[in-house]
Order: sequence, then structure tokens, then C-alpha cells
Amino acid sequence: MRKSKEKMYIKSARTPKEKIFRVLLYATVILLVLVTLYPYFVMFTTALKSRAEIYSMKGTLLPIDWEWENFADIWKLAPLGRYFINSIVVSGGATAIAIICGIPAAYALSRMKFKGKKFFLGLVIVSQMFAPVVLLVGIYKIMSMLHLTDTLLALVFINAAFNQAFAIWLLRGTFMSISPEMEQAATIDGCNQLQAMIKVLLPVAAPGIVTALIFVFINAWNEYTVALTLISSDILKPLTVGITVFNGYNMIEWQYLFASSLFATIPVVALFICIEKHLVGGLTSGGVKG
Amino acid sequence: MKKKKIMKTVTPYLWLLPSILLMLIFILFPIFEVFRTSLSEVSRAGIIKGFTGLDNFAKVIKGPTFGLVLKNTVVWTIVVVGLSTLIGFALAMVLNNEFRGRKIARAIVVFPWATSLIIQAGVWKFIIDSDYGTLNTLFMKLGLISKPMNWTPTPGAYFAWECWVGIFVTIPFVTFCVLSGLQSIDAAYYESATVDGAGFWDKLLHITLPLVRSSLTVSTVLNIIYVFNSFPIIWTITKGDPANRTDTLVTYLYKQAFYKGRTGEAAAISVIGFLILCICASVYMVLSLRKEEQDA
Repeated sequence: MRKSKEKMYIKSARTPKEKIFRVLLYATVILLVLVTLYPYFVMFTTALKSRAEIYSMKGTLLPIDWEWENFADIWKLAPLGRYFINSIVVSGGATAIAIICGIPAAYALSRMKFKGKKFFLGLVIVSQMFAPVVLLVGIYKIMSMLHLTDTLLALVFINAAFNQAFAIWLLRGTFMSISPEMEQAATIDGCNQLQAMIKVLLPVAAPGIVTALIFVFINAWNEYTVALTLISSDILKPLTVGITVFNGYNMIEWQYLFASSLFATIPVVALFICIEKHLVGGLTSGGVKG
Repeated sequence: MKKKKIMKTVTPYLWLLPSILLMLIFILFPIFEVFRTSLSEVSRAGIIKGFTGLDNFAKVIKGPTFGLVLKNTVVWTIVVVGLSTLIGFALAMVLNNEFRGRKIARAIVVFPWATSLIIQAGVWKFIIDSDYGTLNTLFMKLGLISKPMNWTPTPGAYFAWECWVGIFVTIPFVTFCVLSGLQSIDAAYYESATVDGAGFWDKLLHITLPLVRSSLTVSTVLNIIYVFNSFPIIWTITKGDPANRTDTLVTYLYKQAFYKGRTGEAAAISVIGFLILCICASVYMVLSLRKEEQDA
């Protein structure tokens, strides 16, 4: 299909109308890319400016002096290393729990017939209607009951639970696209269902599982509201909350805020690019087909 | 034999059990608590004193700013979801063409999706700053304006910028949902339509739209939910101020719960928000599913 499209393009590119179309197409794409990158450009260049330059009335596009020390200074001014570890613990823990709970659920939903399947899928969708911010009052309550307020474990559980729906959708979409025949053959050879899933299905489904893993990890990494509310000790803050120390009441230290923002952004954007291709196919196919 | 049969009925539920427990404890229980709190009298320390019926709801609705906040929420949701769907759809059509650097362009377009909202909002807050903001610098260097402009003269202007940031971060999700739909369309449809003399708009309306409708439904329903409940953008840029002029339901309820200690009223706002969301999402689902059936 792709080949025929390319052929079409070569053949029709000769007409003047098609030429204008190509020019417009490239112009739109370039504009799109520039607008998308603009905030990142601002983040990067501002992170490298001195405070005096940022707060001077004469604005500059690029830094006059490239203050690379800003990137070193942020580590001394705030316990960024600690924030970073907290973010890793929360995102890693949430991802592990979301996937460990999600795989058997997605397996049952894609391979077994049972009563209440539709009900469960409906429940998963309803769970998506409540963002954590709307439920903070209730979340706070359950965490007090479990003595988990102001702990990283609370963030691990909340992120795992609120990403459960997406994890199940993505995994179910992946499992449904794989024929169950291989597992059936393995069961005849004496494997039980659990063994068949682990030994036969999971290796084949690995790309889909990795996509779900990374997706949950990124969501947990970028979460802000629950961490803001549940965490009161400074040393337990994840990066998203921690970096706002540079966003003070009197003066915002933009250069430090953006230097640490870049540091919190680059790893997850890189991860996201790896899964971008698989992500949406999984979301729409897993989500729509009943 | 009987035991085996029982095992067969029970097994699927055992597989679902970890997932159910996780959601039961950390989502369903908080939901239950929010509903219970919304119907209770709550002390400032957060202790439930007793059932008060709809008192909290009455207090919220009679509050002087509730109408404004509700209006903001509706405008915020409709503007952000509407425009990001429109722009995201158009961009998907653009990115679906074959051109050099397509892979790179697509990778760049997902950046805002992968970036924390709090960071995106922080950057935009700086960009539009009337004293030191870089938008003025950029536009002056490009020759578009001759002296610095105040981009946020009124609360309404702030709100408009917040909507723009909302649109900016929502577009990638729409674009990628539509792209996945577009890629499943067989090019033969377009070829035969061209042979029949169909123009651009005919093809868009009669081939593209019906075939990407299900992707578009998923992205729109999810976006209505996310945008309605979105907190970090408004919180970072204005905290809902001045005087609730840029508050939406979620920022308003956050202040009620954690600044003013009115937990009961905050819970009532959550319930009101949920009811509105339920109605919108189900109306949209029913309408678009019916349309799908008609077309099929």
C-alpha cells in the first residue's frame, strides 16, 4: 500500500497544482514543528541565562553569556537528586503494580468468557471519569486510614490505580491481536493456563507490554496534583513538585526552574518517542472493540 | 467433575482479582467517601459529624462565585476540546501525507503530550509575562510588533492563554488517535472517488470522516474527561485568581478543600462535576454511536 502511494506521488507531482500542494504541505509542517518546539527553545535558552539577563528590560532570544553553571547550581540549591530518586521510586513502583495487576486482568478479558465482563469494562471506563484531583478528599481519607499520608507508597498506589484502566486497555488490545492457538497448543502439551500465558503469550506480546510499561511510567512521572497534596516532607517530593521551589512567592528563579524542568522532561520525552508508534493503535483498538 | 466446573466459573474472576482490589481500594473507596462527605456535615478538621442531606450542595450553589466558576468550566472544556479536536484533526491529515522528514515531524509533535503539564504551564507563564516574557522579544525581533505588549491585560486574557496552553497540550493526543484511524483507510477508496470526480471536501466528508469516527469518538470522550478535570495549567498560571475569575470546578474545589477547610462543600463540587461529566460523556457517546449505526 505504501509503495503504491509513493508511486502516485511521483506520477502526480508533475502537475502545477500538486507542486503548490507540496509547498503548502512543507510550509505547514515547518510552522507546526516550530510552534511545538518554541516552549522547549524558551526553556533551554532561559535555563542558560543569568538572572540579571532574564530580569533585564531588554529581552534577548539567545543568552548573552551561556551560563552552563546553572545546571550545576540547581543540584546545590535543592535536593534534586533526592527528588529524582523519589520520582523513580514512585513511577517504577506504580508501573510494576499497574502491569502486574493489569496483565492477568487483560488476559481474562481477552481470552475467557464470563459473566460480568461488560460490567467490568464499564467499571474501568467509569474509573477514568474521576481524576485524582476530584477525589482528593476521599484519597486523603483512605491514606489516613492506611497510615500512608506523606509516604511515597501512597503515590505508588494512587498512580498504579489511576493508570490501571489504560494499562488494561493497552494490554487487552495487544492480547486480542495475538491468536490464542499457540497457547491452546501449549495447554494440550500439559501447561496450565498461567504457564501458557507466561511462556507463550507474554514473549510474543512483549512490544505491547513495553508500551504499557512506558506509558504508565510517564504518567506517574508527570503526576503533580496528588503528590502536591499528600506529600508534606520536602525530602519525599517527586520532581514535579520539588522543582517548584524555584517558583518562589517574591521572585521566580526562572533559570533554575527551567534547568531543573529540562532535567525532568528529557528522559520521559525520549521514552515517549520510543513508544509513540505503538501507543495509539493500542489505545483505540483496545478501547473500542467490546 | 463438579469441582472442575466451579473452578471454571471462578477462574476468570481470580485473574481479575488483583486489578479489582487495586481499583476498589484506591478509586472506588475514595469515590464512595466523596459522595458520603458531600452529604455530611464536616468539621474543619475533616471529621464527619452527621448526615445533612443536600445542605452542602445548597451552600455551593448559592455561593456568589459558583455561577462564574461553572461558566468558566464549560467554556474551558468546550473551547479546549473543540479547538484541539479541530486542529488535531487537520494536523493528522497533514502528517498523513508522504513527505521528507515525516518521522521526525511526528516525533516532535508528541513532545507536549510527554511533558508534565506543570512544566508546560510554567514555560507558558514565562512566555506571556508582560515584563520579561519572551513572546514580546520574539515578536519584536520578527518585526511583528514595535514595542512590548501586555499579553494579559484582563483576567479574561489570562483565561484565554490558559485555554491556549490546554489546546497546545491536547492536540498531540487527538492527532495520534486520528492518524491511527487514517492509516487503516485503504487508499483505493480515494482513488476510485477521484475517478468519480469527487473533490477534496467530498472525500473528507464521505470517506475520511465516517472511517475515523470511532477514533475521534474515543479521543473526544477521553479529552472531555481530562480537560474538564485538568488542574495543573490553571493552578500554575493564575491559581484561579483574580477573585475566581479564572477558576474552574477543580481549582475551586481544591481551594475549598485545602485552603478554606470546607471539605463537605468541596466534596459536593466533586459530585456536581461528576454528574455533569457523566451527562456530557453519555450524550456524546449515544449521539456518535447512533450516527455510526446510521452510516453503517
